Amino acid sequence: MSTNAAIKMFRVGMASCGIAAGAEPVMQKLVEQAGSVPVEPTGCLGHCYAEPLVEAVLNDGSSVFYGNVKEDDASIANILALGEKGRFVIPAVRKAKELVKVLALAGRINPTRFEDYVANGGYAGLKRALAMAPDAVVNEVKLSGLRGRGGGGFPTGNKWSFLAAKKADQKILICNADEGDPGAFMDRSLMESAPHQVLEGMLIGAYATGATKLFIYCRAEYPMAIKHLNIAIKQIYDHKLNVVNGRELEIIIKEGAGAFVCGEETALIASLEGQRGTPRFRPPFPTDKGWMGYPSMINNVETYGNIPLILRDGGAEFAKVGTEGSKGTKIFALAGDLKFPGLVEVPMGITLREIVFEIGGADPEKVKAVQTGGPSGGCIPVELFDTPVDYDSLRSLGAIMGSGGLIVIGKDRCMVETARYFLNFTHRESCGKCTFCRVGTTRMFETLERIVAGNGTMEDLDFLADIGPKIKAGSLCGLGQTAPNPVLATLRYYRHEYEAHVKDHYCEAMQCNSMVKLSLDQSKCVKCRLCIKTCPVGAISDDFVIDNTKCTRCNSCLSSCPKKAITRVKKG
Amino acid sequence: MSIEFKLDGKTVKAEPGQTILEVATANGIRIPTLCREQRISKTTSCFVCVVKDVKRNKFMPSCASCPAEGMEIEASSPEVLDMRRTALNLLLSEHTGDCEAPCTLACPAHANVEEYVRAGREGDFLKSLQIIKERIPLPMTIGRVCPRFCEKDCRRNVYGKPVAINEFKRLAADLYYDSYMEELPPETGKRVAVVGGGPAGLSAAYYLRRNGVAATVFEAMPKAGGMTRYGIPEYRLPKATLDRELAHFEKMGVKFEYGRTLGKNLDLAELKSKFDAVVVAIGCWKASGMRCEGEELVTQGIDFLRGVIENDCKAANPGKTVVVGGGNTAMDCVRTAVRLGSPDVNCFYRRTEAEMPAEKLEIVEAREEGVQFHFLLAPVKVEKQGDKLVMTCRKMQLGEPDASGRRKPVEIPGSDFTVEADTIIAAIGQSAKVPEGVPTTRFRTVETVADTQKIADNVYAAGDCVSGAATVVEGVASGRKAALEIVGALTGNPMPVEHTVFVSRGKWQELSKDKLVFLRDNVSEADRAVLDTLPAGERKNSFLETTSTMSKEKVMKEGERCIECSCTDKHDCKLREHGECYHCDPLKIKGERLPVSYDTRHPLIIQDRGKCIKCTTCVKICKEVVNKSLLSPKKRGFYTFIGTAFEQGFPASCSECGECINACPVGALDWRHKE
Repeated sequence: MSTNAAIKMFRVGMASCGIAAGAEPVMQKLVEQAGSVPVEPTGCLGHCYAEPLVEAVLNDGSSVFYGNVKEDDASIANILALGEKGRFVIPAVRKAKELVKVLALAGRINPTRFEDYVANGGYAGLKRALAMAPDAVVNEVKLSGLRGRGGGGFPTGNKWSFLAAKKADQKILICNADEGDPGAFMDRSLMESAPHQVLEGMLIGAYATGATKLFIYCRAEYPMAIKHLNIAIKQIYDHKLNVVNGRELEIIIKEGAGAFVCGEETALIASLEGQRGTPRFRPPFPTDKGWMGYPSMINNVETYGNIPLILRDGGAEFAKVGTEGSKGTKIFALAGDLKFPGLVEVPMGITLREIVFEIGGADPEKVKAVQTGGPSGGCIPVELFDTPVDYDSLRSLGAIMGSGGLIVIGKDRCMVETARYFLNFTHRESCGKCTFCRVGTTRMFETLERIVAGNGTMEDLDFLADIGPKIKAGSLCGLGQTAPNPVLATLRYYRHEYEAHVKDHYCEAMQCNSMVKLSLDQSKCVKCRLCIKTCPVGAISDDFVIDNTKCTRCNSCLSSCPKKAITRVKKG
Repeated sequence: MSIEFKLDGKTVKAEPGQTILEVATANGIRIPTLCREQRISKTTSCFVCVVKDVKRNKFMPSCASCPAEGMEIEASSPEVLDMRRTALNLLLSEHTGDCEAPCTLACPAHANVEEYVRAGREGDFLKSLQIIKERIPLPMTIGRVCPRFCEKDCRRNVYGKPVAINEFKRLAADLYYDSYMEELPPETGKRVAVVGGGPAGLSAAYYLRRNGVAATVFEAMPKAGGMTRYGIPEYRLPKATLDRELAHFEKMGVKFEYGRTLGKNLDLAELKSKFDAVVVAIGCWKASGMRCEGEELVTQGIDFLRGVIENDCKAANPGKTVVVGGGNTAMDCVRTAVRLGSPDVNCFYRRTEAEMPAEKLEIVEAREEGVQFHFLLAPVKVEKQGDKLVMTCRKMQLGEPDASGRRKPVEIPGSDFTVEADTIIAAIGQSAKVPEGVPTTRFRTVETVADTQKIADNVYAAGDCVSGAATVVEGVASGRKAALEIVGALTGNPMPVEHTVFVSRGKWQELSKDKLVFLRDNVSEADRAVLDTLPAGERKNSFLETTSTMSKEKVMKEGERCIECSCTDKHDCKLREHGECYHCDPLKIKGERLPVSYDTRHPLIIQDRGKCIKCTTCVKICKEVVNKSLLSPKKRGFYTFIGTAFEQGFPASCSECGECINACPVGALDWRHKE
């Protein structure tokens, strides 16, 4: 079988997500069978639901995509023949709504090949920056209106000017790549797919601020990002791009040991120093006293990823996109109850409705809310989906922009359970330093556990409402200052669900096992016995009656029933 | 250059680098903190020192925040106090330990059990006695007759029997009571009349005198002691022993006037005017009737016992005896009847043995002495037939639990039967004969102002007449309380409020051995020491004391069984101090407590992680002051703890300087030996 002559080359999505979906054997098969047609590994296009993804680049410059590619010979042959089967078309609405800038090279280039990056406009920003005075570079960033993409939203240009103004024999520039929010993978994808873009941003930052040492603090759970960064760093050294301000800069990757709190800047610095990763009181701010006492500045991966674009196109051009207070684009990791989970880059100011329903393809009938900002964010009910996505609007709703996690919550999800789920994460990840965070979040979590178990009281709700704001006010760092958000936001918008759990032992979403029993509708049942075979505890009798004292609410029967005769109903 | 800002509405000056906490302290505003230690870099962990920046609407730890020109800081507003209280309540909600040992808390008089047991264990029974007498002025009596509240809550109950605590009291008193005389302050000239020479009245007089106030005891009977003399039988408390004990009061200068009865030859109004204060401690000397037909034919238990004692135990044989009741008085009556020669002594109780309020040992010994017990019976009628008494009884069955938690007896209709006896004794209950002019509760006891012993003006009350019939130790406790309230009123310096915040690991019934913390070395695994008791055969025929005081060696050895539950830092704990100041409650916020984890491997230093508040002061002291870095925080979140490298305990490089111990605001790090 020969490869269709129209094909110039293949690209296979080989970021972590692609590999997890099975891209490695697909790639291998293609290499074996494509003959002289080159097969290039590339990064992530953001369509998680379609991985493994193969792109056939045609001689005329157009492309044909194949999604959910299997490694079997027939599938590979189909691709080589440029067959019609399994073609993947990027949903038109997504194309229309997205504004891909920062991720422009993700999935388009071989991330480990320096030439690919340069050929696609890479290091043009650095080149332009080096031609400017350092303070002009800072001003360019100020002009762009870029705000920190890690979640805090602090104006990046201002931060840079603080460090630039410091007189010290050592100044430290740090990239925060400790992406910890469950369900968030914007930074990983960018580092895996376009490592040079992040490093270019850092080098520009080093030039603008006079930094002498560069750190990337990356979580150890991102081995491919670390590998690609290391390759890119070596290429930078080889091309002497690290010679900035007449100094040869060292770029050091420090792998994090897995603590969520190390995403907080003072904890991150402590960890970089070899100390236990716990935050400390500010002031002094890191730009005054950071790593080993030297002035230090921390920006997030995505923030650095924006810098080359700003310097290449100019700050004013960058600022054309977005809203009054929030400029540029933002990458979101879409997850949860929707059709097209994945990475999406959109202009600031887009509405949640557009992201969730149009880009994400979620069913408007089935969506209850969206959680922004991961476990430290808050939920926004569907009624407020016309809210523009920017730092300030989200904050006013009790949620946060956060680093970009966006989890769609369906109507069949219990909001109390959702809050419990997030608190389970944050209370474990508290570093244990501040009383309010360490004990307070634990007490909140325990209270939520009581409520979902059917043992809650109205006093418990009062307690949650009372302690939540106190934890936020009485914690040193962002973890404690945001941990109560999921509870406070759900209490704010879904108090009736909490009250129903407490007063009536009723879980509207039929999710909380303590309040639910399984019921088999005999009129729908076709006596196929699948449920009886599936039940792991023998809770269904031969005459199709469910013994709810035995049933563990595992839902196995529910999913096995071809007639949907089994449902979860209110207990008692 | 100094700056100015507003602190609680007042304009104050701050020098550069000064924290808000320092400025507040300099201006007389007290801000509590647990984690601030001057010699180390700021830890800002406890958040007990929070203040509010009004303009920025932000709370911040005052120990680290420096004021800026024009700031408005609230350090004492209700909102700030509420934040602090919440921080303390959160810390208390995870704190695992015992601010006080459960035995000490269980003792109605809060005698410092752990300390007097320790002194005894170390062989210093004089010290033991001194500690006891801080709370219990009648250790000879109580050492013999106490129902041992302390032992019922002793943690050794978790595995085996409780420490024989009361034997320490008895031995210490037997050894040193006669020779030991407290250092008494000179009398201040204030005088108090104590009406009633029972345990409560004696205790009031004792603590008044120890505080320099003269006391005169007005006693209705020819001798003092109250129910300990006229109610408790000789075989439990020899009157010669009681006389020895009471002699001490006269040695202290307490005056006694006998044969003085309130309302007869003693007038309350006159006492009020002649003395600076009056304590009414007249006890419960009125027996409750059987409330059935013919009840006037029945002998009252307390009258029976008093008659025997007044006749030097030489009363007539009561013949066949039936005692109705299941309490300690009933046990005293049956066992006294046995000793008077009755061949047939019976106890009738309307519930079952499980519900009997009498001490279990009393029931066991009564049975050994031949007493017959009959349960689920209630008297209906008593008649005289010739020289015999005939009592009609009705059988009962147990119904639903009543207010006391015990199952209520319910009559079985048509189950009546009769029983013949020479003597029928009712030992059902007692009440006070409250004199006229004294307010009375619906339980026919003296009514006092809530949470105090005060009736009105300068009149106080104590003992059974307030509480209803109770134990000697309870009477002693209430007499002491009355005395201290009077001293406070007379001097204008109310007694300091005693500790109110008590963190507890829980009642022993809820604990298993692995939930106990053994900070003391070599807690003995031996069985509880047993008191030498006369055999039943010898007991039956005499009023000799049934038990004898344990030997010193035996008691000292028994002391080795004490776990020493109370916190090593109980006198110096900042969490407790601030918790009390901020009216905190360890049970206010529900949730899991810190797991049991402690380290006693070092010969001098102990670590009890359940008490740690994670302020890391110890870590920083060791690193920044001592320059050794032997401690560090481990794990995360709720389960964060402070540990040594590789959990190997303190290494040889530890110089045992004690800096970490001194800096620890709680009892998480401490010296091994309690003081």
